[in-house]
Amino acid sequence: MASSSGSLPRYILVRLLLVIPMMWVLLTIVFFLLRVAPGDPVSAAVGGKLDAHALALRRAALGLDRPLVVQYLEYLRNVAQFDFGHTISDNRPVLDIIKDQGGATLTLTLGAFLVALLVGLPLGRLAGRRRDTAADAGIRIFGVVSYAAPIFWVGIMLVVLVVKVFPGWPTYDIASVVTKFTVPPRTHILLLDAILDGNGAALGDILKHHVLPCLTLGLLLSGVIIRLVRINVIQAMKGDYVEAARARGIAERHVVRRHAFRNALVPVITVIGLQIALTLSGAILTERTFNWPGLGTELVQYITARDYIAVQGLVTFFAVVVVLVSVVVDIINALVDPRVRY
Amino acid sequence: MTRKRKLAALVGAGALLASLSACGGGDGGSGGGGGGGATGAPWILGTTESITAMDPAGSYDMGSWNMQYNIFQQLMTIPANGSDPQGDAAQSCTYDDPKTITCKLRPGLKFSNGDALTSSDVKYSFQRNLEIADPNGSSVLLGSISNGDDKSPSLADGAIETPDDTTVVFHLNQPDLTFLKVLTTATASIVDEDVFPADKLLADDQVIGSGPFKLSQYKPGEQAVLEANDNYSGDHAAKSKQVFVQYFNDPAPLKSAVESGQVDVAWRTLSPTDLNSLQSGGKVDVIKGQGSEFRYWVFQLENAAVKDKATRQAVAQIIDRDAIAKNAYDGTVNPAYSIVPPGFAGQKDSFQAKYGAPDVAAAKKLLQSAGVKTPVKLTLGYTPTHYGPNAVDEANELAGELNASGLFDVKTADAEWEQYQTLEKQGAYDLFMMGWYPDFLDADNYLSPFLRDGGFFANGYHSDQVNSLLDKELAETDQATREDELGQLQDIVAEDVPLIPSWNGQNVAVASKSMQGVGDTLDPTYIFRFWMISKNG
Repeated sequence: MASSSGSLPRYILVRLLLVIPMMWVLLTIVFFLLRVAPGDPVSAAVGGKLDAHALALRRAALGLDRPLVVQYLEYLRNVAQFDFGHTISDNRPVLDIIKDQGGATLTLTLGAFLVALLVGLPLGRLAGRRRDTAADAGIRIFGVVSYAAPIFWVGIMLVVLVVKVFPGWPTYDIASVVTKFTVPPRTHILLLDAILDGNGAALGDILKHHVLPCLTLGLLLSGVIIRLVRINVIQAMKGDYVEAARARGIAERHVVRRHAFRNALVPVITVIGLQIALTLSGAILTERTFNWPGLGTELVQYITARDYIAVQGLVTFFAVVVVLVSVVVDIINALVDPRVRY
Repeated sequence: MTRKRKLAALVGAGALLASLSACGGGDGGSGGGGGGGATGAPWILGTTESITAMDPAGSYDMGSWNMQYNIFQQLMTIPANGSDPQGDAAQSCTYDDPKTITCKLRPGLKFSNGDALTSSDVKYSFQRNLEIADPNGSSVLLGSISNGDDKSPSLADGAIETPDDTTVVFHLNQPDLTFLKVLTTATASIVDEDVFPADKLLADDQVIGSGPFKLSQYKPGEQAVLEANDNYSGDHAAKSKQVFVQYFNDPAPLKSAVESGQVDVAWRTLSPTDLNSLQSGGKVDVIKGQGSEFRYWVFQLENAAVKDKATRQAVAQIIDRDAIAKNAYDGTVNPAYSIVPPGFAGQKDSFQAKYGAPDVAAAKKLLQSAGVKTPVKLTLGYTPTHYGPNAVDEANELAGELNASGLFDVKTADAEWEQYQTLEKQGAYDLFMMGWYPDFLDADNYLSPFLRDGGFFANGYHSDQVNSLLDKELAETDQATREDELGQLQDIVAEDVPLIPSWNGQNVAVASKSMQGVGDTLDPTYIFRFWMISKNG
């Protein structure tokens, strides 16, 4: 039986409501995992300086001596009120961290997607079109290697290579210190702030800094895209409409570009949306490698400092992003393909 | 547009952007103004140290303290490569008796916002530090003027008197000859009572002080920008108008940045391997100064294996510190023969005097005389990252030396810092590695925290004689007598061996050839005095 027109809103509503238990489970796991892990922010920061009594006093001052259930309930209540609290180790509002550092992660992610598309789409198309040739084999190997190679290793190799060829090329951070000092903060997205400021020199500096990190993370993502595009192009090339196009005498390269490739892109776009989780995990490693001032760098530092509040807040934020993107992708799928609504 | 044209446009855009960035993205460009008499070019410091809080009441770590030394004044200061406190905001601070210190402030001191700095600000600074008692703060160092109440900490009644605007009198609750040195630490930084709230920390980017620099920008985890303070009138006038501090999360990009000239100075913390690589590369200067970082091995005296003093003495007899320095740290550290590092008044190489060169035969004799059955089984603990990547090499080197003697059967065990601290107190290790940076430059800071009732690491050591000597040296006003008492304490440690000194670190920085004054600030205080440093060009 065909779906009724009212089933889409219901599907979206159910999908959105499911976010609540998903988030609750995630928050609970994060909370208890952090507490199960040995250590606390106090011993991480000053454990080599103070005696047991002084450490206990400091733990008490932070409320870490209260029963776990009390801490858990308070945490859930605060999150429900969108209060992510202040970090323990350096007393920053978690929302400020997301606001201040989120822009750097966003530009890195978008830049990486751009690189992934610029690399992945043409190579995937070429591999699909030239199936089982040496070019296909080479591209497939590139795809597997770029996906499997550790990000930090790829990053370091790129740094070594670029420093050899362009000795003055920036190898870390989102911009030079002077650029970061002179560009007035408006949106907390440095690239955008430089554009709004009409500062060409700063914009150039920022873009130069983006090259290596975006390339590193983009190459990781390109492996997935290459494989997907290749498979879909191969499938599309077998389609009746492609045969029909060929029968009409259209040149092969036009057949591939206008018919097979465009149709092959539809499932790719869906999957790219779902790659957001992979991108975020890759961004953490990329940020670490390039001293990129994004949320990934912050997360690792707060994990090292055993800062429960900061880690909870940042992981929650990452989770919300992933969940929301998956919801949006599901909704797009449901719009495109009514069968999904069941 | 054809594909070729699109490509050409893309390349052109890239070239344009690259040229734009070349015009103004350089690290050495100009930023803001300020600076009074400072004329040196801006320079960039790269460091892996992080900031807990810019507010002096909220931090107890090297990264935060170093910013505070440059932004705030303390009553007293330790001059570069010196050891005796000299006046900073105070013209002088002197002991009237072991429990009373009187300080006279310099006249006309101002904060960077123009507010006058008076004795009232000094009292307020100590009072709020104690009352806030921030979990990340260092108010524990102010015990001699606190009310001692854990639940409602505050300044003890009458602990600080301010008879006039330029006089501060401290009345200590116990004789404490180290308190004058506490006044040189960042925990004693003077804040403006009209700006800093009494009961909470001030936001990091809003702090103001009366030091040689003022904070112009702070992006947590990214960078801080300091500019010379026009209102500063002390002895530490800044040579450079502007200093950028770039924070790194990892030593690898820091090494790359200083090597390629993207930062002018790298200070803390590059590994011995990186330092040697940079030195041999010759592009930058690797500058070494005396340090006070201290690494040592602690015995858990509650454990049966090391309860017997002879066993601990045998380990002290075998340990080859030169081999540890050479094999584990590529020669970048100095062997330590006392728990007090060289350069401190009263320091004595008691372990060298008692044990001399590593000697397995002597160790065997010690064990035999005490009737200890060999090989003695020991678990040697270390933590793999907290003290840097070379800690594992040191642990393996020491274990190898003990095993090679045939007198010990040592196995190593490791845990991350968080768990390590719990495990060592629970007795999981018979012998375990610890490290220490001093809070202030006094031999007592290497003795009281380690020796009084098992120390902060709770190793079960207790000696009434040691406790009594610690009390005496803290109250001793005669320098010669105090040094004798400090020497006695070190001799007792060499005899009882509750712990074994391993090495003293150096204070190392890497600087580009255009930098000047970096070496002058590398001393055991680990205060990185930005005001002494300048850049040519």
